[in-house]
Amino acid sequence: MNSELFQFSTATVLLLLFAFYGGTYLLSRMIRHDSDDADGFMVSNRRIGLGMGAASMTATWVWAASFYAAATSGYTYGVSGPLHYGFWGALMILFIYPFGRRFRELAPNAHTLGELIHARHGASSQLILAFSNILGSVISLMVNLTAAGALVSVLSPLSFQAGIIIAGVGVLSYTLYSGFRASVFTDFAQLVAMMAIAVVIIPAVLFAMGGPAVMVDNLSNLTAEQANIFSREAFLHQGAPYFVAVLAYAIGNQTISQRLFAVDESHIKPTFITATISYGAIVIGLGMIGLMALTLGVEPLDGNMNNLIPQMVSSYLPPIFIGLFFILVIGSLSSTADSDLSALSAIMMADVYGKNIARNKADPRKMLLIGRMTMITATVIGIIFASFSLDILVMLVFVGALWGAIVFPVIASCFWNRVTNAAFTWAVIVALLVFCVVRFDLLPMTGILAIGVELLASVGAGVVAGLMTFGFFGKRMGVIAFFIGTLVIAWLGIGHLRDFTVLLSSLTAYGVSTLVCVAVSLASDERFDFNTIQQRVGDYNKPADDELDATVTVH
Amino acid sequence: MQTFIYGSYILVWPAITLGMLGMISYAVLRDYREAKRNNTDLV
Repeated sequence: MNSELFQFSTATVLLLLFAFYGGTYLLSRMIRHDSDDADGFMVSNRRIGLGMGAASMTATWVWAASFYAAATSGYTYGVSGPLHYGFWGALMILFIYPFGRRFRELAPNAHTLGELIHARHGASSQLILAFSNILGSVISLMVNLTAAGALVSVLSPLSFQAGIIIAGVGVLSYTLYSGFRASVFTDFAQLVAMMAIAVVIIPAVLFAMGGPAVMVDNLSNLTAEQANIFSREAFLHQGAPYFVAVLAYAIGNQTISQRLFAVDESHIKPTFITATISYGAIVIGLGMIGLMALTLGVEPLDGNMNNLIPQMVSSYLPPIFIGLFFILVIGSLSSTADSDLSALSAIMMADVYGKNIARNKADPRKMLLIGRMTMITATVIGIIFASFSLDILVMLVFVGALWGAIVFPVIASCFWNRVTNAAFTWAVIVALLVFCVVRFDLLPMTGILAIGVELLASVGAGVVAGLMTFGFFGKRMGVIAFFIGTLVIAWLGIGHLRDFTVLLSSLTAYGVSTLVCVAVSLASDERFDFNTIQQRVGDYNKPADDELDATVTVH
Repeated sequence: MQTFIYGSYILVWPAITLGMLGMISYAVLRDYREAKRNNTDLV
């Protein structure tokens, strides 16, 4: 085992980066460009086919951290580790699809989920959602640029900052011109490269280290928990918190809803299923390299788990594979970063300018300018924050809680005509406050308080189970799943959930937001007509239907 | 037998990835042909 990682020369790594970003830029220039097409900049032609749609969804969802985290999970939790990362991550894509169909049905001309919520409730609920989307995409951009800096600095003499700047400018160069269209079009090429490299690298490492027989000979290096495919420890520490986040990530992430509004409506189901399987296979497969390292007793270089995959590739394979691995990571982080730029620009164009400043009298040219300025600003912010290597843990925790708190209000708002703007807003605010108390131990989790919070968390677990079941099997089964989930988790978890703070706080956010949302909604006599949403959410390239009607009436 | 199980457990993922790569590529090719036939954009 090498004690150091392979190093590219500065010229080689610059050549690799230039070839990647230069090729991607040339691809983006093949897209037809209309200087007034604000809708195309945000959601393409809304008829993206199965192949492009699934490729884009997969490439967006696979980010640099996917490989590192899956390998870390394999190294930490053994045989079941990669599954507890990749499987639940894949389910995030799958579980949004039934709700996505409803979003598309309610607002076929929407560009963001925020527009739908604006039409349903008004500005405060929409801006809560838009704020959570912006925070999520900025964090994602920072994380991906940081990964680029780390990769470049680990595998070449170039500095961390140089890697961040090259990746930031590279991604911006091909996204700025055509926005979402460029993101989707280049995602396909990036995904093909990623998949082809993953197909080669995983078996290459396995057989270069001696094949499955060597793994079996070294199984004694695994603890009983690590050797168990049904490891309780792996589920509670890795799988369960991730499972809870399944719906939150999908709802809170504009990159997914943007694709939801862009793919051909008749292909939504196969697109999401294909993306689910593709994501799971790539990420779980690369996570297996962490399991291989664990089995062989490999220690991560400098104690840094992120070094595991490059270390294994570097130790067992020739330099060409390191080059392939380099492209794999750059491809994954770039495809996610370009989606984040497109998502941020769409939120600023539609949610902020279109709905709250221009108020449905938006000028498409001005929208495009705002979209491009947003991309440039976001890239500069991402580069600066990533260069300082800021500790973003608190931000990550906060955005996770925010996403958890908005899941039930968003979904309920699209199916239940009694949910009000006040119910949505208060549900999120109260859930966030309770989350902070639990997550940051602001009050001692003992006695009656701990039992109360565990009960709220049990309700949260029931909500997760209920919503997932509801999405696929309807209201009756959803309600049954809610009660079963709540009772089972209350039975198993009271007295124990307090030991798993991350899980407890996340579930509590779900539970509290649901209870508040339902209670405030039931206290109101308001009834909403869902048919009005379609009239209120229109294209920006032409006036919305209600404006046309108004114009006809006036003249 | 254990060797086969472990080998399969690891190699099944790149195998699925390869299958999905073929499927996505074929679907894109089909979309491309359709877009060309209808004189529309792919994205």
